[in-house]
Amino acid sequence: MTLLTPQIRALEGQRRVYRAPEPIGAAAGRYFALAVGDDNPLYTDAGFAREHGLAGVTIPLTLITETNQYAGLPIDADGYAGHSWEIEIAGTRRVRGGNTYTFERRIRPDDVVTATWEIIELAEKTTRSGADMLVITSRATYTDQDGDLLATNVEQDIFVSLGSPA
Amino acid sequence: MSRAVGDELAAFERTVTLIDMVAYAGATWDFYGLHYDPAFVARAKVPAPVVDGQVFGAYFVELVQDDLGPDCFVRELAMTYKNLMFAGETLRVTGTVTAVEADRLSVAMVATIQDSGYGEERVAALGTATVLLGQPDGPGGARGVR
Repeated sequence: MTLLTPQIRALEGQRRVYRAPEPIGAAAGRYFALAVGDDNPLYTDAGFAREHGLAGVTIPLTLITETNQYAGLPIDADGYAGHSWEIEIAGTRRVRGGNTYTFERRIRPDDVVTATWEIIELAEKTTRSGADMLVITSRATYTDQDGDLLATNVEQDIFVSLGSPA
Repeated sequence: MSRAVGDELAAFERTVTLIDMVAYAGATWDFYGLHYDPAFVARAKVPAPVVDGQVFGAYFVELVQDDLGPDCFVRELAMTYKNLMFAGETLRVTGTVTAVEADRLSVAMVATIQDSGYGEERVAALGTATVLLGQPDGPGGARGVR
C-alpha cells in the first residue's frame, strides 16, 4: 500500500503565508525566557545587550521557530492555534521527526514577522522494522517587515503505517 | 576563549513541571491539550502530559549561549526527537565541541531524561549546532537596525 497517494502528492509545492498582526514585542521574549527558565540578560537587560553590540534586548532565538503568535489563527478543538497542513492519513501514526533552524540575526522586539510555509519534499521510506512511512518535509521562512530574512525552519513530520509488518 | 575538539560545555539539569509546560504553551501560543489536559492525555493513552519537544531547542541554545557567552551566535541548530518526556521529569542537557575553526565551532548535544517513575534514563533529543564566535547579532545583524 502506498502512502503517497495522488491527494498527498498534490500537496508538494503548496505554500501558506502568515503575517503577524503586530510586532513580536519585548514582553513575548521575556515571557518565553521565563517559561523555559533561561535567565540570560540578553533577553531582559537592554544595557547588557548594548554592551555586547546589540541595539537592545532581543528575543530568545528559538521563539520565532516555536511560536504560533504570527499565525493569527483560532484555537482548534485540540487546542492548536498554529500552521498545519491538516494532513490525516488513515491507518498511520504521526511522529515528529526533527527540525533544522538557520538564524540570520537576533529577533528584535519591533520585528513584525511574516512566516511562509511550503512543503518541499514528500518521500516514502521504510522503517528499520519494515513498516511503510511517509516523510513530509516542510520549510518555514521567516522575514521581517522589510522583507529581510530572519530565519528558516525545515521540519519533518513522519506518518508510520500501522498495517505493515512490525 | 579557546576551545578544542572534545571540550564539554557546562551541562545543566532542568525539571520540567506542569506549571512550566503551561507557561510554555502560553508563551508559544500552542495550547495543544496533550501538554496539560488530563482528559486529552487519557485519550492519547500516555501516562502524563507530554513536554512539547520543541522546547529542547530552547535548552540547546541556552547550553551554547551560557557556555560560550553573549558574543556568540547560534547560526544553525538541528534536532531530532527520540523519546517522549513527561511532566515532572528531569532533563540533563550536555554538549561537546566537535569542530573548531577561527570564527566558529560545531557542537553536538544530547538532552537526556533522567530515570523516573515513567521509565529509565533515555534520550529525549539529539542536536547539533554551528556557532559563530565574535558575531553576537549573526550574519544579518547589520541589516534592519532601526
